[in-house]
Parts: sequence; structure tokens; C-alpha cells
Amino acid sequence: MGRIGIAHIYASFNNIIITVTDLTGAETIARCSGGMVTKSAKDEGSPYTAMKVAQTVADAIREKGIDRVNVQIRGQGGNKAHTPGRGAQAAIRALVRSGLKIGKIEDVTPIPHDGCRKKGGRRGRRI
Amino acid sequence: MAKARSRAAARKVKDKWKAKNWYNILAPSGFDSVTVADTLADNPDNLIGRVTAVSLQDLTGDFRKSHIKLFFKVHKVEENNAMTQFTGHTLTSDYLRRMIRRKRSKIDGVYDATTRDGATIRVKPFATTDKRVQNSQRKVVREAMKKTISDQAKNSTLSEFVKNTIDGRIGSEIYKNCKKLYPVKRVEIYKTEVINQPSIMIEDKKPEKPEKPETQEEPKKKEKKPATKKKEEKTDEEVKEPEIKEEIAEEEIPAEKPEKKEKKPAKPKAKKPATKKTPAKKTVAKKSTTKATAKKKTTTKKKTTTKKKEE
Repeated sequence: MGRIGIAHIYASFNNIIITVTDLTGAETIARCSGGMVTKSAKDEGSPYTAMKVAQTVADAIREKGIDRVNVQIRGQGGNKAHTPGRGAQAAIRALVRSGLKIGKIEDVTPIPHDGCRKKGGRRGRRI
Repeated sequence: MAKARSRAAARKVKDKWKAKNWYNILAPSGFDSVTVADTLADNPDNLIGRVTAVSLQDLTGDFRKSHIKLFFKVHKVEENNAMTQFTGHTLTSDYLRRMIRRKRSKIDGVYDATTRDGATIRVKPFATTDKRVQNSQRKVVREAMKKTISDQAKNSTLSEFVKNTIDGRIGSEIYKNCKKLYPVKRVEIYKTEVINQPSIMIEDKKPEKPEKPETQEEPKKKEKKPATKKKEEKTDEEVKEPEIKEEIAEEEIPAEKPEKKEKKPAKPKAKKPATKKTPAKKTVAKKSTTKATAKKKTTTKKKTTTKKKEE
């Protein structure tokens, strides 16, 4: 009989961070990020890295007696990209593959009701 | 040096984990005090103030209501059980967005209401319409919303009020009152927040009394209801759709295992032996099959996300 946790997946374009907490979100059970499994900075946000991150997290939480997980996925949000990054899908897939049961999947990207001005100025980013 | 420190830190973490105990979080008495979650802490005092979100589906088993999230806050700990209070509810954001379309109006308001047992609750209803609505019409509808909510709150305790909002009874009541003023489409309460918990605890025993007049009113309601009932059915149908999709997605995992083995796993497999540190106990065949299924799941997920975008 396993317990339930929440897998918070933060998938930005350049990195992925997975934190598994209990159902209140107050206690962290396991945590892993892109930089912990890959060496080159450019790979941190890649789907393959996301897969490995998810696997390490899954192993860690299974050791601690959690075998069901609700997924809360988020992208960068705010006045930046509202869609989760490249690693998001790979991460969920890897969680399923590693034998965890997935309850609900929810998108919790923070979306402003109307926020700050977006970076880049009036004429956009000039390269 | 650094290594030693990290090792010490690792040892500490493990000890911490062992020191922590699991506690059951019970729903408030209004929701039959069911165990809704569990949490862990080394000190029971730390539990107080933690909030857990529970979908109504988990409480009632009714999968049509998975879009309603209830928030319970821990206020008391007895042995291994943490008692909670209701602090509010929301609808999930995807459900909300599904209802709001182009060239329609959304009329929403924020009202504070005081219940019979002295609790202050902030209620946020909204109504959608078929066409764009003028501001004067919005005003009238808002006025009606406000009135029905304050009336309902006055005659019920907090737990009754919450139950009514969750069942959609207050929504349909507002719908009934607004219908004469402007033909609104759907009325729902998308958020409540409890600002002050009930101050008079004696009134918890009284819920039978206010129910009696309600039962007397009911026959009247039934006469008027056909329109509202239709509306409720509609909502049910619309809610069902996504649920079914999710179920299918889950069912696909065991069912559709074969196919597409070669294409996907080839790339990660090549890399795995070199970089993988975690023990890979599973057989390769199992991996590939699960991968294929997982891929399917993501495709279904893609569909849903694209749908969201369209809307």
C-alpha cells in the first residue's frame, strides 16, 4: 500500500526541475534537476535529461514508499512562455515508465491577470 | 573537505527522514471526516496551517465533479489525525477556460456574505451569456447575484452553504433569478474563500431547523425547475467529455502495448549504458513496450493541449 505524492514538474526551456512532495506540498520527499544528471548546460532542458531526472526521482520516492503521484506541470509563466518546455512530456512519460501510478495531471503555469511589461522594449529584441 | 561535508549532510537527511511520522489528514466534519491525504512531519506542531487540495471526485467518487477543488487547512492534531477546516474551493482553470468563448460575455462579481453562524465567506460567481451584453444589463445581473447569495448565506450555516455551492444549487438559484432579467447561459461559482471561520459553534447542532423550511419550498422549486434542470444536464455532458478522454488515456497503457517498438527507444537505448547510473533491473522488452504505451499517452495528451489552445 503506497502513499500519494505530488510531482511538481517545472519545465522551462533551459532546465527541468522535479520536486516530489507530500499532498500538502509542505514536505519535500525527493528533488532532482537537469544539472544534477547532465554536465553540459545546453542539455539541461532536453527531453533526454528530463527522462533521466524523472527516473532518479522515481527511484528515490519509491524507496520512501510512494507509488502514486499527482502531476502538476508548469512552464515559465508570468510574462514569459505559458507553455511547458520540451522536457515536460518526456518527464511524465518517464514517470509512467518507471512504474508509478499517475493520478491527475494538471497545468499550473502561473498566468498573470495582467502583469508587468514583457522584456525586450518597444522594438523587440535586436540581435 | 567538501566531500566530507556532503557525506555528513547526506547522513543528516536520512536521519531526518526516519524521524518523521506520517499523519492522516481528515476532512472537516461537514464532509464526514474522511481521510483525504497524508502528510509527514517530525513535530506535530508543524502540521498546523498546512493546506491540502482535494478534488470533489476523491471525496464523493463522482467523476463528473473532478473539476472542483476543495482546500482544507489543518487546525488541530490529535495523535495521528490532523483535523481540518474548509478554507475555500476553486474550479480548475481548464474547466473555466472551456466555458468562456469569443463573442460571449462573462459577468462576474465578488461578494462577501455572512452566514447564519457568523462566518464570512467571499463568493465569486460568474455567468456566461450567448451574446455580448451591455453594461447596464451586466449591472442588473450582478445585482441579482448579490442578492441571492446574501439571502442564501443568511439562511444557512457555513457547511450548508458550502454544500449548496458545490452541488450547484446556489448557481441554479442565481440562474433562476437572473433568467427574468437577462437570458444568461450558465451560472457557476468559481471560487469561494472563507475569511472568518464560524464564530458561533452552537449553531452546528441546528442544521435540522433550516432544512425544514427548505423542504417546504421544494415543491415550488420543482414547478419552476425544468429550465434549470436542462441547464444542469448540459453542464454534466460537457463535463463528462474530458473525463472520458482521460480514462481512455489511462486504459491505453495496459491495452495497447505492441507496435512502434523500433522507432522511439532506439535513441535513448544507445545512450543508456554509458550514462545511466540508476540500476536498470527491468528487462529491455518491458521497457520498450512501456515506452510505446507512454508515447501513446503523450499523443493523447497533445490532443487535449491543442484543444485547449483552440479554445
